[in-house]
Amino acid sequence: MKQVLEGSHAVSEAVRLARAKVISAYPITPQTHIVEALSEYCADGSMDARFICVESEHSAMASCIGASSAGVRTFTASSSHGLALMHELLHWASGARLPIVMAEVNRALGPGWNIWMDQSDSLSQRDTGWIQLYCETGQEVLDTTLQAYRLAETVNLPVMVVLDAFFLSHTYEPVDIPDQKSVDTFLPSFVPRISLDQQEPNAIGQMAPPAYYMEMRHSIQMAMQAVLPHFIDVEREFNNVFGRTYGPVTPYACDDAEYIFVMAGTSASTCRQAIKTLRDQGHKVGVLKLKMFRPFPYQYIRKNLEKAKKVIVLDRNCSFGAGGIFAQEIRSAMYACKAHPQIFSYISGLGGRDITVDHFFEMLDRTEKSGYPENESVWIGLNP
Amino acid sequence: MNHNSQEAISGCIMKSKYPATDYIMSGHVACPGCGAVIAMKFALQALGAKTILVIPACCWAVVAGVHPQTSLKVPVLHTAFETSGAAASGVRAALDMKGDTETTVVAWAGDGGTFDIGFQSLSGACERNENFLYVCYDNEAYMNTGVQRSSATPYGAQTTTTPKNAWKSHRKKNIIDALAAHRIPYAATVNIAYPDDMMRKFKKAKDIQGTRFIHAYASCPTGWRIPSDQTVAISRLAVQTNLFPLYEVDKGTDYTINYHGNRPVAEYLKIQGRFKHLTEKDHADIQDMVDEDWQLLKGKAA
Amino acid sequence: MNQSIQTESPNNVSLLISQSRTNTLGNKTGTWRFVRPKYQEKTAPCSNACPLGIDIATVEMFASRKDYQSAFHKLLMENPFPAICGRVCFHPCESACNRQFLDQSVGIHYIERFLGDWGLTSKQSHISYPKLNGAKLGIVGAGPAGLATAYFARCLGYQCDIFEKSDQPGGLLTMGIPSYRLPDQTLQNELQRLNIDGIQFKYKQSISVDQLDAMKQSYDAFFLCCGDAQSISLNISGDAYAIDGLNLLRQIRIHEAPSLEGTIAVIGGGNTAIDVARSLLRMGAHPIIVYRRTRKEMPAHPHEIDAALDEGIALKECLSPIEIQKEADHLQMRLQVMKPGEKTKNGRQTYIPDDNPSETMPINHVVSAIGTEMEIMWQNDQWDLSMSHCRMKNIADIPVFWCGDLTTSEKTVTHALASGKQAVIAFDVLKNKGFDEIHSVCHQCQIGEGPAISFEIYRQGERKQRDNSEIVNFDRINTAYFPSIPALQVNKLSQNDCLNTFDEVVSGFDELQMSEEASRCFNCGICNDCDTCRIFCPEMAIQWDQNSRHILMDYCKGCGICIAECPRDAMNLEVEP
Repeated sequence: MKQVLEGSHAVSEAVRLARAKVISAYPITPQTHIVEALSEYCADGSMDARFICVESEHSAMASCIGASSAGVRTFTASSSHGLALMHELLHWASGARLPIVMAEVNRALGPGWNIWMDQSDSLSQRDTGWIQLYCETGQEVLDTTLQAYRLAETVNLPVMVVLDAFFLSHTYEPVDIPDQKSVDTFLPSFVPRISLDQQEPNAIGQMAPPAYYMEMRHSIQMAMQAVLPHFIDVEREFNNVFGRTYGPVTPYACDDAEYIFVMAGTSASTCRQAIKTLRDQGHKVGVLKLKMFRPFPYQYIRKNLEKAKKVIVLDRNCSFGAGGIFAQEIRSAMYACKAHPQIFSYISGLGGRDITVDHFFEMLDRTEKSGYPENESVWIGLNP
Repeated sequence: MNHNSQEAISGCIMKSKYPATDYIMSGHVACPGCGAVIAMKFALQALGAKTILVIPACCWAVVAGVHPQTSLKVPVLHTAFETSGAAASGVRAALDMKGDTETTVVAWAGDGGTFDIGFQSLSGACERNENFLYVCYDNEAYMNTGVQRSSATPYGAQTTTTPKNAWKSHRKKNIIDALAAHRIPYAATVNIAYPDDMMRKFKKAKDIQGTRFIHAYASCPTGWRIPSDQTVAISRLAVQTNLFPLYEVDKGTDYTINYHGNRPVAEYLKIQGRFKHLTEKDHADIQDMVDEDWQLLKGKAA
Repeated sequence: MNQSIQTESPNNVSLLISQSRTNTLGNKTGTWRFVRPKYQEKTAPCSNACPLGIDIATVEMFASRKDYQSAFHKLLMENPFPAICGRVCFHPCESACNRQFLDQSVGIHYIERFLGDWGLTSKQSHISYPKLNGAKLGIVGAGPAGLATAYFARCLGYQCDIFEKSDQPGGLLTMGIPSYRLPDQTLQNELQRLNIDGIQFKYKQSISVDQLDAMKQSYDAFFLCCGDAQSISLNISGDAYAIDGLNLLRQIRIHEAPSLEGTIAVIGGGNTAIDVARSLLRMGAHPIIVYRRTRKEMPAHPHEIDAALDEGIALKECLSPIEIQKEADHLQMRLQVMKPGEKTKNGRQTYIPDDNPSETMPINHVVSAIGTEMEIMWQNDQWDLSMSHCRMKNIADIPVFWCGDLTTSEKTVTHALASGKQAVIAFDVLKNKGFDEIHSVCHQCQIGEGPAISFEIYRQGERKQRDNSEIVNFDRINTAYFPSIPALQVNKLSQNDCLNTFDEVVSGFDELQMSEEASRCFNCGICNDCDTCRIFCPEMAIQWDQNSRHILMDYCKGCGICIAECPRDAMNLEVEP
């Protein structure tokens, strides 16, 4: 059933349909609409779930870990400083191999306080062992959240569903909300592979000395490596039931492109607008939208970019002292290719600063005129 | 003449009514004479097999077994240091959603993970009146990491971060009062030298709904620099000197004192290495503090 | 080997986490230890003080549990007459009792009395004796020493003939102790215990030294238990007017006492003097005890002296009679005032006549109770065996043992019983192992510092896990486990009632009181299964297994808590070998 929903509510609808049993969350702008909707559902009985109003994000993740370890489907949401506060436990959740799903609204980190779009928060957590899936539209948010549970419960890794602050979280779009029965078919009840067991008492998460620890870490990496093929399977099944699919990356006009833009999030929509104009002007350009960031979809990146001359990466983030994070990862991916397109890294749109089609024109212009990338990352849109 | 009930008096009125098997197995790696193990012994005997333990970083995180072993006969969830209150809330919620209302969820944390870094999540859980039992076994310092001070370290003690003449000059935090202020249904102190009283309180706590907090005195020969055979004796002295009074708080407001001590604190201080630097003046100061706290407590119980 | 749990999804996604169900029993933490605990019982001070070496702490343990059968049989191992001793023994156990340093000694003799009385009526008190071994012993005197000899000898299978010059058994038990201390019925019932196959009483047969030679064909040994039958005379002018105190008690017992009224001086400071005075009181007379030293030096049991004074009997100290003159209707006794002299080497205070001569005391009668001595025919000074409570001399190839008052320095019922026990054991060792073994075997049976020896040890061997020589000191008792509870009091007849009757003055405990009082016993050095060790062990290394408790040395880390907490010093900490 199609409804006009803001991005936040696309999340909450999906979590309701997914029949999460324990939701534990702490409010932070701009995630609040997600958790407010869910607490209403729990209060009025639309959801058969327990909503724990914890006193911090750290505790939110801790109680999800507790609940998931006890064998139920869980959910939380956060953003920015809340996510940063959870950092320790993000490591814990993945190390414990718990299929927790979290909605993460990409928001800037202070000081100064900034509640608007920025990718630095989720990307700062890229080493924590969470699957990271970036969304562009409200529909994609709903669909990805449902898929996230399937994926998480298959590989036993937690999943972060990422959406832009305000540009997606607070933007209303038409979203097709599936019916419960179809969702139940796609996403059956949770059968935990890890659970506290009264019948044969077990201890979970205890100290692991050097003789044991490394294999556990290797197991996480191997699970991560299994994610991509399982993601494809999950998408295929989803497509069968609901008729939609996204792929780990979504290419647009890339087949014959000499210049390919790469980015994640809503800026991809703007970029497609720019591409249309540029193509009309005769530029051979395309855009590759990145959905899956962890695990990094190396083969898809290479396959889509290897024929390009130059790759233009847009980062709405910065790893200070190094540069745009997506650019780093793409550079690293392309190194293994025989073909080595040049990677041009641009940083823009931090802290909610808008990225317009003009910015994309500027990026292309600069890239065309440069023989080689002039800096690790070039900042676009700074006020003089 | 002492007004104590027969029950509160230490030792073994139970005699060989103490069950034949425990819920902890031999072979665990606690220090010889560990008071925290004795505390867990009595706690689990009272609580029974339908218990799930949530254990954050603390001595018991190691004593519970290093992978691939477990020393406990009940399920254990290990969690991060400051998370016991929150993790236990999550476990409880999950069990409720699964329809299990019989299993007791017990957070079992040290003083560091309760008084300091874990205080926030504990306070949050208390305010929400989460339905679990939180036990703080208190050895009065961060023992697992090498005897650093916590806010549970008593006035006058030397630790590795309050060494030499920089001994701890702040009083021990009153955790019971702090949590009773949340109006949780039950809070109590227990002491391993008084097993009858301890088990009675655990049994009582088990049957109450909502957040229950038990502050368990668990002496540490290693950290307190006393011989390993003095674990129970020093615990007894703590109660008898009113330094660690035995009392209960129902509904956050009704105080009941279980034991009236009458021995001077100097007897307790003189025999521990962590207090041996104290002078007689220090003993007198501490006696004054203990007397003051004791009067305050009696006022609440009147 | 990786023992962790691996869970694989149907899609074979690796899932290796830190999770475990394997227990820690594989860690043998016993290797950490440098000291080790051991169950080590010790001797309680009461047992050490008891002339019979009774395992009192164990008796109290059983009594507190109301396990009368076990308590009674423990008593009977060392003492055939608990109902008697519970009334008349001077209870050195209570003087040594560790409980006195907390509050008050345990009322041990009241408990013994209760158990003894129980034994008189309960079928569960039945004792079985072994078959006769063919040897036969001759015992002269059916007083406590002779009776004890017969009892212990019969327990070893010896047939016994007891020659008694009077017509009934008991000796001084019957003839010397008045019924207000030892009721007649109780005494008779308890003496019935020896009315068994293998023991034969031959009454009205007085045996002299010469007869022993003639009887030696029929007996393997003789035990002379005839006591000090000879009263010591006052040896002053007019001593013919003095009534013999011991004889008076005998007459009272057989209801043939003369009527004695008025003021009666009782000369002496021992139990006999006290018994005479208290008996005279009940007969309506007005006794005054006259003693040549002070009350402190009186050899009578202190509580007996207290009882007499409580009954209103006067005591005149530091007076010694020097002459008795008969007046028309009364006697006039002249007494020398005594004063303290020097102290002897052992610290004993001597008394010497004061310079000024005398006092006079007009009285109606005077009774002499200054002691007894053995008949001349039993005197001897060459011994083949000298022990603390008996001596032996071979006479015409038969060992003849001197027992009871004939040899003991303290003339009490309990010492007499102990003497019989010691003599029987000495004889049994002599017979089965040889003379040279006697002292060493008896030493093995010794309780504490001795000289008491245990018949139970002699019959059943060394008590495993108990160190007989180590006596429990009060500072080894963990008083935290013992709230202060004063001793239970018994009822006594009022002073008025005492004047009128020979009924028993002191009541005993009822069942509830008895078990409460027995519960006050620390059970020094004895494991009473309180389980304190097991309850506190942080390693779960103390376990019950088939009715016994033991320490799992694979896991014990040697922390020592069990030893520190054991309320009664029944454990030791040893260096790890």
